Amino acid sequence: VCTSRFWFNYRHVANTLSVYRSVKRLGIPDSHIVLMLADDMACNPRNPKPATVFSHKNMELNVYGDDVEVDYRSYEVTVENFLRVLTGRIPPSTPRSKRLLSDDRSNILIYMTGHGGNGFLKFQDSEEITNVELADAFEQMWQKRRYNELLFIIDTCQGASMYERFYSPNIMALASSQVGEDSLSHQPDLGIGVHLMDRYTFYVLEFLEEIHPASQTNMNDLFQVCPKSLCVSTPGHRTDLFQRDPQNVLITDFFGSVRKVEITAETISLDPNLTAFESKPPKEEFAAEPLKYAEQLPVAQIIHQKPKQKDWHPPGGFILGLWALIIMVFFKTYGIKHMKHIF
Amino acid sequence: MAAPLVLVVLAAVTVRAALYRSSLAAFISERVEVASPLNAWKRVVEGLALLDLGVSPYSGAVFHETPLIIYLFHFLIEYAELVFMITDVLTAVALYLAIQDFNKVVFKKQKLLIELDKYASDVAELIRTPMEMHYIPLKVALFYLLNPYTVMSCVAKSTCSINNTVIAFFILATIKGSAFLSAIFLALATYQSLYPVTLFAPALLYLLQRQFLPVKLKSKSFWLYTMQYAALYLCSLVVIICLSFFLLNSWDFIPSVYGFILSVPDLTPNIGLFWYFFAEMFEHFSLFFVCVFQINVFFYTIPLAVKLKEHPMFFMFVQIAIISIFKSYPTVGDVALYMAFLPVWSHLYRFLQNIFILSCVLIVCSLLFPVLWHLWIYAGSANSNFYYAITLTFNIGQILLISDYFYAFLRREYYLTHGLYLQRQDGTEAMLVLK
Repeated sequence: VCTSRFWFNYRHVANTLSVYRSVKRLGIPDSHIVLMLADDMACNPRNPKPATVFSHKNMELNVYGDDVEVDYRSYEVTVENFLRVLTGRIPPSTPRSKRLLSDDRSNILIYMTGHGGNGFLKFQDSEEITNVELADAFEQMWQKRRYNELLFIIDTCQGASMYERFYSPNIMALASSQVGEDSLSHQPDLGIGVHLMDRYTFYVLEFLEEIHPASQTNMNDLFQVCPKSLCVSTPGHRTDLFQRDPQNVLITDFFGSVRKVEITAETISLDPNLTAFESKPPKEEFAAEPLKYAEQLPVAQIIHQKPKQKDWHPPGGFILGLWALIIMVFFKTYGIKHMKHIF
Repeated sequence: MAAPLVLVVLAAVTVRAALYRSSLAAFISERVEVASPLNAWKRVVEGLALLDLGVSPYSGAVFHETPLIIYLFHFLIEYAELVFMITDVLTAVALYLAIQDFNKVVFKKQKLLIELDKYASDVAELIRTPMEMHYIPLKVALFYLLNPYTVMSCVAKSTCSINNTVIAFFILATIKGSAFLSAIFLALATYQSLYPVTLFAPALLYLLQRQFLPVKLKSKSFWLYTMQYAALYLCSLVVIICLSFFLLNSWDFIPSVYGFILSVPDLTPNIGLFWYFFAEMFEHFSLFFVCVFQINVFFYTIPLAVKLKEHPMFFMFVQIAIISIFKSYPTVGDVALYMAFLPVWSHLYRFLQNIFILSCVLIVCSLLFPVLWHLWIYAGSANSNFYYAITLTFNIGQILLISDYFYAFLRREYYLTHGLYLQRQDGTEAMLVLK
């Protein structure tokens, strides 16, 4: 969720889109992502590179594109909609892409960025959500069994205040700064004219770059990301409500969509006589080398794929038959004696 | 006579080439009066593109051309403009040669009837001389090539020109007397658009006349010849249809082409009579009315055959006109074909009663078609009734033209045998009236 709008809050949109891309790269499909953005950066008249949102200076990585599915955009990003998505109290006409269709086995990752203060988060310069409301929303989710485990990451000023009030089990929270501290932005880009990313998210993303679907990195490593020397603010985390040890929680439990499969090296022969026989468990595929999050989907290839142009030719039998008929008719009308004039 | 023909051909080709290069070409090819769903060039290109993508062109209701057209244009698609210009030239040349031979036949028949004393005594001014008939073939070619309808149809690259060429070759083969070629071209013409099957009767009558076989139902030689001709025609039709099967290895083309022609599913406005009726009809009745409208095309063959059995070429002309008026998707290209024959009957001019008003109706309606189309579709200040009114008026004009010529022809025949100045039994002047 990106809770800011206007051109000077470019970095919040870039933050959110970068996390979105990482999460998609690690396997979570758009049907399982609810992306809330003000979405006024790419086509902003002040954007010198229209239709792009860069997350790295020198315009190296464009995180916008036509494979970004924004579910709530512009003025739909409100506190009410956010809470409705979380608690599931949505009017029946809402499309599936705008719903959080989770059940009690789902692990949910919530990433929020924007401008915040002690105990509140500002939504689109017009309203606020308080930490109490957020904690109550999570309690509703727990009582309705809408999550198994929940990871809450927030990158705003005084972000730790937002997770102080949680009281539902199985929630782990991370914030970019403690109460009384401001989260700072990372790099301005002189070509675009605004800051492109926030520090905490930048280092979290650098960390996520090393993750691939089979990696065994756990939450303790994530807590070490962005020490004070790099981030200027002190990141905080809260794990007391979480039942497992963070040492044992894989990053990919929340950031990726990884099936718990076991790869077996032995071959199994499928006997055709046996009717109730399970097929081989699906092998888990992972990238051989870490992928940059900008190249995760071969977008250009998918979009511009044209069906191969195979030229159609009339079948030989047809041509033969047709011309044989024509020659027969010709000779029937004009007589065989003309043949010697032609050949 | 070849030199003036070449000159006419050159003029026609220049006009067409000039129009192809101008911006009018795109405008004309979009006109519904010129391009119908059956013969629009856009659909030919679409069908061939579908074929290149590996999909049958008959899937979906886009392409309604026969497989032989697919074969023809598969190799000639870059030279499409040349192909259409050549087909127009071929049609004109075929008509020219056909009418030349026909004039000879007419003259011979006239001579025979004069010697047999079949004509009345005072009809000298009605007898046709070779002098006046000398320029008729050239006029026919001229009428076909420089007719604005033909030019528009060619510039729009509508395959109607190809249909006209096949029919023209059929007429040429019939007049030359070759039953074999005539049956083959008739089969091709029927295969292209279903309606020329009604031209079987006039062709048969002409060939019988040429063989001096009397058209009597009891005569054995009549039936023998009819059976032979019918067998030739049907066999060549079957052979052509089976050959088309081998182009795409499917029978898809039959419902797409003939099913489409007969069941009229596409109700795009055109200059015909079908679209408006079926647009406002309840589905319950549509089958009945489709049958009624289609029977209307084929219905006039037998009565006309009975009446015009001595004059098969005129019968052919009237039949072609009836096909172009009552077919399910007519275009101005079809109208141009029978208008090309009008110089052949120019000797009937003195008997035509309404020619001035009818030509005005036809010209004004042709000019009003684009106006009312614009008012209906673009300006929104008219509706389909307006356009249909013009369609109706145009078709009424055409029907009255044909019936006028028909009546004039019959009148001339009557005067030839009964004399120009008719008298009743008591000697007062009589008038010939059509009842």
